[in-house]
Amino acid sequence: MPPRCPDAFSIIVAMLIVACTLAVPFASGQSTSHPIVPGFERFYAQSSGDVAAGELLIGELGCLSCHRAEAAIAARVLSKQAPILDHVGLRVRPEFLRAYLADPQKTKPGTTMPNLFSSVSEAERTEQVEALTHFLASTGSLLEGGPVTPAIRRGEQLFHTVGCVACHNPRREGSTQLSTSVPLPEMESKYSVPGLTEFLKNPLAVRLAGRMPHMNLDDTQAREIASYLLRNLEVASKLEYAYYEGNWDKLPDFDSLTPTSYGVSASFDVNVGRENSFAIVFRGRFRVEQEGNYVFHIGSDDGSRLKVDGHEVVTVDGIHPFSSGKGKIALQPGIHELEVQYFEGGGEQELKVEFQGKGIDRRALEYALVGSDDEQKATDRFQVDPTLAAKGKQLFSSIGCASCHQLRVDGKQLASERTAKPFAALVARGGCLSGTGAGVPRFHLNDAQSSSVAAAIKLLNNATTLPEKTPEQAITSTLIAFNCVACHQRGELGGVESGRNALFQSDQPEMGDEGRIPPHLTGVGSKLQPEWLKQVFDKGAKDRPYMFTQMPRFGSQNVGHLIAAFGQVDPEVADHGITTDIDERHLKAAGRKLVGSEGFSCIKCHTWGNEKATGIQSINMVTMTRRLKENWFHEYLLNPQQYRPGTRMPAAWPQGQVLLPTLLDGKAMTQIHSVWEFLSDGAKATAPVGLGTDPIILTAFDEAIIYRNFIEGAGPRAIGVGYPEKANQAFDANDLRIALLWHGAFMDASKHWIGRGPGFQPPLGDNILKLPLGVSFAILSSPEASWPTATAKELGYEFRGYRLGEARRPTFLYDVGKVRVEDTLVPDSKEPFTSATRTLKLATALPVENVWYRAAVGNSIEATDDDWYIVDGSWRIRLDVESTIRKSAGKVELLIPVRVTSEATVITQQYAW
Amino acid sequence: MTRTISAVILSVVAVASTNAVPGFAQTPTEADYYRLIPYDIPAYINLEAGGIELMPDGKLAVSTRRGDIYMIDEPFADPPTSVRWTPFAKGLHEVLGIHAVGDWLYATQRCELTRLKDEDGDGKADLFETVNDDWEITGDYHEYAFGSPPDAEGNIWVVLCLTGSFNSNAPYRGWCVRITPDGKLLPTCSGIRSPGGIAMNAAGDVFYTDNQGPWNGTCSLKHLKPGSFQGHPGGNNWYDITDGAIGPRPTEPQSESRMMVEAKKIPELEPPAVYFPYQKMGQSASGIACDTTGGKFGPFEGQLFVGDQTHSTVMRVFLEQVNGHYQGACFPFRAGFGSGSLSLKMTDNGLFVGGTNRGWGSRGNKPYSLDRLVWTGKVPFEIHEMRAKPDGFELTFTHEVDSKSAADVASYELQTYAYIYQASYGSPEVDHTKPTITRAEVAADKRSVRLFIDGLQEGHVHELHLLGIQSRQGMPLLHQEAYYTLNYIPAS
Repeated sequence: MPPRCPDAFSIIVAMLIVACTLAVPFASGQSTSHPIVPGFERFYAQSSGDVAAGELLIGELGCLSCHRAEAAIAARVLSKQAPILDHVGLRVRPEFLRAYLADPQKTKPGTTMPNLFSSVSEAERTEQVEALTHFLASTGSLLEGGPVTPAIRRGEQLFHTVGCVACHNPRREGSTQLSTSVPLPEMESKYSVPGLTEFLKNPLAVRLAGRMPHMNLDDTQAREIASYLLRNLEVASKLEYAYYEGNWDKLPDFDSLTPTSYGVSASFDVNVGRENSFAIVFRGRFRVEQEGNYVFHIGSDDGSRLKVDGHEVVTVDGIHPFSSGKGKIALQPGIHELEVQYFEGGGEQELKVEFQGKGIDRRALEYALVGSDDEQKATDRFQVDPTLAAKGKQLFSSIGCASCHQLRVDGKQLASERTAKPFAALVARGGCLSGTGAGVPRFHLNDAQSSSVAAAIKLLNNATTLPEKTPEQAITSTLIAFNCVACHQRGELGGVESGRNALFQSDQPEMGDEGRIPPHLTGVGSKLQPEWLKQVFDKGAKDRPYMFTQMPRFGSQNVGHLIAAFGQVDPEVADHGITTDIDERHLKAAGRKLVGSEGFSCIKCHTWGNEKATGIQSINMVTMTRRLKENWFHEYLLNPQQYRPGTRMPAAWPQGQVLLPTLLDGKAMTQIHSVWEFLSDGAKATAPVGLGTDPIILTAFDEAIIYRNFIEGAGPRAIGVGYPEKANQAFDANDLRIALLWHGAFMDASKHWIGRGPGFQPPLGDNILKLPLGVSFAILSSPEASWPTATAKELGYEFRGYRLGEARRPTFLYDVGKVRVEDTLVPDSKEPFTSATRTLKLATALPVENVWYRAAVGNSIEATDDDWYIVDGSWRIRLDVESTIRKSAGKVELLIPVRVTSEATVITQQYAW
Repeated sequence: MTRTISAVILSVVAVASTNAVPGFAQTPTEADYYRLIPYDIPAYINLEAGGIELMPDGKLAVSTRRGDIYMIDEPFADPPTSVRWTPFAKGLHEVLGIHAVGDWLYATQRCELTRLKDEDGDGKADLFETVNDDWEITGDYHEYAFGSPPDAEGNIWVVLCLTGSFNSNAPYRGWCVRITPDGKLLPTCSGIRSPGGIAMNAAGDVFYTDNQGPWNGTCSLKHLKPGSFQGHPGGNNWYDITDGAIGPRPTEPQSESRMMVEAKKIPELEPPAVYFPYQKMGQSASGIACDTTGGKFGPFEGQLFVGDQTHSTVMRVFLEQVNGHYQGACFPFRAGFGSGSLSLKMTDNGLFVGGTNRGWGSRGNKPYSLDRLVWTGKVPFEIHEMRAKPDGFELTFTHEVDSKSAADVASYELQTYAYIYQASYGSPEVDHTKPTITRAEVAADKRSVRLFIDGLQEGHVHELHLLGIQSRQGMPLLHQEAYYTLNYIPAS
């Protein structure tokens, strides 16, 4: 029976992060929290003695690691393997390990790790914990490194969009905290940025059990999320850097450049500014203890160079994906000067600097960096005591850490020497369930949890013949254990909790929930091919580019059994039984027609390979036949609503009706089959008609043409005018000004006339003159008054339209207060790059004083001998009336005082550009 | 899902070929009653028809999304081989509404209401006067503007789509405004999301269609009662610039609620008069036309016809007033238009339907189209009207019904559902119920049936299927389904 979903809104208000100082006094565990298993919290928290809940906990708490069980029982439990600790010292701070071992539940509320020292004396506990800490710290030395601000910002975005918050609590201020969230400890006390980055890049490497899946993060993304989670970490900065912006395809000559900014950093972190077109030079000092040859490795995307004491050691220049090189240099003991240069063109960015030498294995160079206050800091650093570590190693085996955690020393896995009752001998009370007995691990189970575990133990141990789980039960327990249900719904089970719903987002809001909520798994076995499911489990998926939440890798070793179970439960869609003797190429041609703009225009909404659709950006068509089962595809196309209630996918063959009766004899199933056949060529298929956009070039032949649309540089209410003389203008009807003048081709309308038409289109031609923003006319209280910055509408001006005159050239009509303006532009000739003459006719019923026309504004306006003015040294204007040049608000303006009477006043001016 | 697809298809074919009605060679189809006349559009014209108007000189004017207006000579030629197309104006900004007033043609563009005139008589407009531009645009493609025909006072009503689906980034986006004959803007209704058309009913009350999305569980027909709030609060900041023209800003609706729950709390909130259940009726409700032809378009005088862009259909709507609010039922009417139905214009010689599928796909596979739908003179056997009663519904029919089948409650299937009224996109059907039809009473004239129902649901769509009903001549209904939006149950 599928579990009920209890109160999904239940919220732990004040959970999370009891600030833990690094040296936690080893007070005995008074914690009130209990182990958080999301599936238990969501489906069973209110239950009591639920067997399925007990089985879930037995798996998630790793009970069978100590209590060995028979195969029939073990097969019912999805045992979660504890983290591998082979190199735990590389990623976790010893101070955290010390506090955590002493009281796991206090240090990380909600943890599933039991307290192994709850019943020993404080002195003994202190001693054993200290030994274990030294042992674990001896497995590797943590590489320190803190966050940089731009990475924190991007990491915050990633953390809240790619799927982390499907299981963990959102971390923005005021975010809702949910009781079903997988807890995190105070992150700064546990990790450094490099350590957490390595973990996030492949959690499955140390947590094989897949409860924390592999999120397919690249190095940069993992570092950004780590930086965000560790944003309050303060780390001594040992590197100074200078940051530059520019476009380069190889390392620039830094001496000739001026940095955009400077900063300090603890590591060679290049995420300090923008993501593309930048360069960084790091400078610092490092120490070697012995004389000898040292090899330096530098790896980067794109180019980099390393210098020691001013000598170039290694260079990996140019634009390329991550690639590395090495160089050698002989060094004396002592401190050396280091310089690392790096630049990034576009795409991914990464920089790694490592070294090796006498007695030093290859490692990050950050380990050897020295800072100004280094001597003092050295005493604070955790030093492994070999005697204590040896004792800790013995304890690791003897007290039973090794029962759950794999840890290899010199390639040999430590074996547990702790014995526990076999599962069959458990009596479902006392022991770990109460956590009070001597030497018993204490899990801090709450009542619902202990009663569920007890019920499961009773059932499993008392059943004479233990039934195997049905495939649907196996699916249910797997979806709950791996928290698939946080994103996916299957039948009545799971789906996005309402408290998390708003965290699922998309860049296609028009797609509604389909665009942002991961697909349901009802009938997924009927739908997806087993090979595809396996690929999704092993590699994750990004088939829905519009959806921010990504399908991570859980590993088919962990969840691969779902493939068979889905196959058993979800019925195969019956064979459509289509046979046709139509030539395959003809069939595919018909399918291509149906997919393209002459058919059902599937490509209006579905992406095709890397080609965007013209409407919404729905799932890629090129991979469909690899993903989907053929018979499912056929039936889905007949009635999409049957499979995806509420989908925007229309039924192209409603109730089997054929809307294109001339194609393939008007047979619906043959038509659908032809689409499948066409799509089965995948990316190799000839692209459907209508894909991509051809330009729609508007050209004025004998008469002027008008294009009212969103024109870049002229605003949303632009009126483009193309003249046969190939001198064009864009009039801004919002601000009543000529915004642009240009020569040559007029406009490409394809942006606005294909698809929905989003965005601003720049002119198609050449030599674009952008005239300044702001109104052209103003009433100034004095000749010194500055030009108004308000919009025409705010000033009470009115656009009144236009009249088409000779050769259908428009005369724009507008009112500036009481002054009526008629504004006409006429190109002067058909010569290339012709000048154009603008005539302004002004009239009013009553005389209006203090009206000014601003003919030009720029940084410089110079008068020439032949009545022209040169503006900004680049374009010219000639006036037939008295004018004045003034400086105002940091600009130079060419103003014309206008005395408007009922007799029309005319201003004529010529533009040459 | 055990049945095979071939079986489904075979059964469809079987219905079409063997299940003929006595007296008919074949089962009657929509085309037997309403004939489609498609227009051949010259290759050089892109007729993404956003507005259609019959001019005083008998020409048909069609405006396009690309910003052109064409005049069509002899628009009623049948077949329309002699029609001539001439450009009247070019280069406007997405014209979704044109209306002739005297010498002028009023055109609603994205950014303004404009009126055009041919001053020199060469058949092309030369004067383009801005009538009003008090609403604004930001450059977002979603910011459409649809204009109505003039009302009795000469006002043109304009419904203004939001900036995208959720926000209003420029004045009056998400509003209905009236533009008076002297060019003043009167704020009229708030709460608009994404309109697809606007027109009056026979009484002169104004309706528009809004589309599934935030605060709109499914597409619907809404009554633009001046002062009302139409449901999407995205544009309500603009109450600040209305100078109290339609009163204070209404209370914000509660998301994830139900329309009628909120309507009881928010007096300004006018519930949709008719929901078009998603996929069942359509996916993108569009233009509206009222049959005021005095019977020239068949038996549905006074009813509304509403396009659906995705399904390339025209639906039919019957409205009544209950508790002072319009509500009613929608019925399938005619499928098969050339492209995605957008603009509708009723004339004494049939219903013009203009289509486009740019940006939004449609069943009709042409990129754009113009069709005229004419009544063949035969009256289809249809549900004529569906009225709510305190204890059920009253259905009237276009033909006399067969008493036996019509009086049998087993001839009817009824279910009800509502939509979630919420800030996120759309809604599934929720709160399903299955009321019991206790009695079906056929009137003496056999033109109507009274259904007595246990369990009417206020605020629900009542989806009724009349599977077993036959006319007195033994014909099945041309369309067997009706969807009544029961916002209010009448008291008597």
